This record gives sequence, structure tokens and C-alpha cells, in this order.
Amino acid sequence: MNPSINVEQLNSALTSLRTLRSSVSQVFEALSNGLRADHGEDGKEKFLLELQELLNNVNINLRDLEQTTNGLPIPTGSFNLGNTTYLSQETTQDRQALYTQLVNSYKWTDKVHEYSSFAHSILSQNSLRRSYANSGSTKRRGKLQSNHNVPPGQVDNVINTIDRSYTDMKITISRPYASNAVVQISLGHVLKAVVAFKGLLMEWVMVKGYGETLDLWNESRHNVFRKVTENAHAAMLHFYSPTLPELAVRSFMTWLHSYVNLFSEACKRCGCHLHHTSLLPPAWRDFRTLEPFHDECKQ
Amino acid sequence: MGVTVLQQFPVPENKTGTYVIEMLSKRILALGATQQGQFLVDCESYLSHPQMGTTKTVHILHNSEQPASVFSILESGNKNIHVIADGLFDLFMIKLSQHYTSKKQTKIESKGPRFELGDFCIKLGSVTMNQSFKGILIEVEYRPCVTANAVWGLLREFLQGLLGSSTVIQPPQHLKNRMSEIYTPIDTVHQYLELFSAYRKTTALRVQ
Repeated sequence: MNPSINVEQLNSALTSLRTLRSSVSQVFEALSNGLRADHGEDGKEKFLLELQELLNNVNINLRDLEQTTNGLPIPTGSFNLGNTTYLSQETTQDRQALYTQLVNSYKWTDKVHEYSSFAHSILSQNSLRRSYANSGSTKRRGKLQSNHNVPPGQVDNVINTIDRSYTDMKITISRPYASNAVVQISLGHVLKAVVAFKGLLMEWVMVKGYGETLDLWNESRHNVFRKVTENAHAAMLHFYSPTLPELAVRSFMTWLHSYVNLFSEACKRCGCHLHHTSLLPPAWRDFRTLEPFHDECKQ
Repeated sequence: MGVTVLQQFPVPENKTGTYVIEMLSKRILALGATQQGQFLVDCESYLSHPQMGTTKTVHILHNSEQPASVFSILESGNKNIHVIADGLFDLFMIKLSQHYTSKKQTKIESKGPRFELGDFCIKLGSVTMNQSFKGILIEVEYRPCVTANAVWGLLREFLQGLLGSSTVIQPPQHLKNRMSEIYTPIDTVHQYLELFSAYRKTTALRVQ
């Protein structure tokens, strides 16, 4: 492979990327503006046509971008500085500064290369798939879309079944905002949590201490519960599965229930209750084994 | 309100109380704590008039952490009955002076700096009775937790880290029976009363 990259090709790829981005932003602009006066009487149809045209543009630009990037050679390893290394031996004063700039940009490209290879390996595992767009057949998709819009009775059923399976975890359902459930959980004398649902999907978690007043937006005044809230958000995303929402809720509740020994159980790795720098108890629970760890000890 | 443990700290010979308080303050500040003002817990005891039958003692305590409350504990036999009232209770005791007389010379208090460290609240109190120094009490509160048995291991670990691993840390007598119950401010007051009574007795021994 030719080690020197064809600059023209690279330039055209970057230009097509720019056009794609601007066409996407045009779509959003048109969407946010909505119906305008110049759409006239049957504005709705005209607006839809306009939107369709814009989306077509996006499609065309995307195809262009794909074509140009496919033509680009894939950099195999880190780049070689080549002759430019001799810049360090430059004697002319006004050119001496060039070398540091060169080194900085070299470091930068090296980092980009490293990060993108990591990102590629992670994304190729497809563990971050959160949309329905590419999840299987159309037959299944029809069923899936209803997860945001489950009848309240079914949500109540799922949550009440979970409530009944734990004696030390009390779950109460309320619906302050229309049909979506807001669930209050009190776990022994240890903590309280509030979970906002959208259909059967969890959207927000807030964990607080036993004596604190629960609400959706204010954080706990104790460091440890702020940490647990942070970890609960991670768990909510980890267990998220649009295809099996019931399982997601159940797994999350099982995970949350393991906090019943938040203060009494020591970290499985360092064997201490408090971590020596953060002075927090083990506020992390492993997703699979539910064993307690300090945030700093979990790796 | 979290679980609080009150611990006596022995003052080494040839050392003053202020020296020990300073040493402990430095230790706590080195851990990353910030000082948040001062605190004061005081205790005054009243004896019932002999005409009322068997003499009973009422202890009146104030804690700067609950500034609007007055804690009173009545000793009657093996049982201690407590009443938590608001600030007017002090005036009420003056009204009752015919029936309950104050033992002024045994008024005892613990005061000193108050520190916050993460979720912990640490108070270093030097105990004085009639302006004479009696000893040092360390109060450590872990605020997120409300039951003592859940948090006892954690508190012991913290106290041992603070006071040195050689110190033996036992749950206070008052807490032993109520480890699984929800902790309330009166439990802290009971712990103070226990240790204050112990300090009063040691003076009595020395006088003899």
C-alpha cells in the first residue's frame, strides 16, 4: 500500500462529510421551523414534500461520503514522521517552532488512531444497540414499538410481581404525570429510590437516604447516595433491552435489592468498608454476581 | 440523622487536653476534613425534694446539633424515661425549683471543634465540670445510615483509622440493646449521659 495518503482524495472525503452535516442540519432546521406562511393553504403536504426532499438529499450525501471513504486507504499503523523529523535540526530561528507543532499534531493523530481503533472494536460487538432501526424482522418490530406505550395495568402487574418477590423491598406505584408510572422503592432501612417509567422502559433513577424526602430531580445530600445514583444510572443503561423490557426491569430491581447490605458488607477486593481516599462504603454492585466493590476497586 | 458513636479518648500523662485536641484536629484535617464551627453538649442534673418520696434525678441536656430541643431524662429505678421538649422546658424547670433542686456543682459539658469529612461528622469535645478539665470525648456520626447494626463495622473501621488500631472499640452500652432500631437524637443524648455520669463518678473517687 502506498504509505503517502492521497491528499486530494482525503480532501474530497472531508468535503462530502461537511455537505452531509450541513444537509442533516437543514433537515433539523426545517423540522424545528415547522409550517411556514409560504407553504400556503395545503401547507401540510408541501411541508412533508419539502422534508422528504431534504431527507433524500441527506441520503445522497451519505452515499457520496461512503463512496469517497471506501476509496481511502486504511492507515495500518501509526504514521511515520518521515523526512519531517529533520525539522528538529533546523537552524533558521523562525522555523524552529515548527517542530513542536509537528510533534503535537503527530501525537494528536496518534491518539485519534488509537481511540478510533478502540471505538471500532467496541462498536463492532454491537453492545450499544439501543434503537429498533436494526433489530430484526418487521414482524418483531411491530411488537417492539409498543414498549413505550404499554397499558398501565400491564406495568402495574409487572411491578407488583417484583414487589411480591421481596420482603424487605417495598415498591409503590404512583402516576403523577398522566399514564407513565413513577415508582417509589424503599429498601429496608438503607435507602429509598424513585424510578420514572416510560411504558415499561426505565428512564430515570434517583437514590436517596432513608430519612430524606424523595423527589425525581434533587440529589441526595449524602455522598454515598449520590454515588449509588450514578451507579444506578449505569445499571439502568446496562440492563436496558427494548426487546425484553420486563427482564430489564426485573434485573434492575434484583441489582438494586443487593444494596440492602450497602453499609454492612465490606468490599470483596480490598476487604475494607471504607475506601481510603473517597471514604465511601462499597457503592458498586457487580451486574452478574451482585458482589460489593468500591468504585476504585471494581476493575 | 445518622448513627453516632461516642468514644472516650485517653489523655496521655504529661499532656494537656488542648494538646490532644490539636493533635486529633490535625489528623482529621489531614484526611481532608473541613472545620464547620463549634459544638456544645451540656448536662445539668436536678434532684427531687425528699418530701416527694424516693429521690429521683432528672438530667437536662442540650445538644447544639438540635438547638431547638431540650432533652430530659428521668432516672427511675432501672428504667430511664426521656422527654424531648422545646426550649421553654428550661423555664419550666425553674418553675419546678420547689420540687426539683439543681446540683449546680455537677453541671458538666463537652465542647470543641466540629468537622465534616465526606458523609462523616466528627466532634472533638473536651469535657469540663465546674471549669475543671475531665477528659476528651470523640463523637463520630455517619449520616447516611439510620440503623446501628448495619453500620457498626464501618464505624469501627473509621474510628480505628482515626484513633489508632490499638484502641478497642465496643458499641456503647446504650446502643447494645438497640442495634437494629432506627437511630434518633435521643440515643446520642443517652450516650453522653452515660459517659458524663462516669466522669462524675471518677471525680467522686478522687475526692475520697
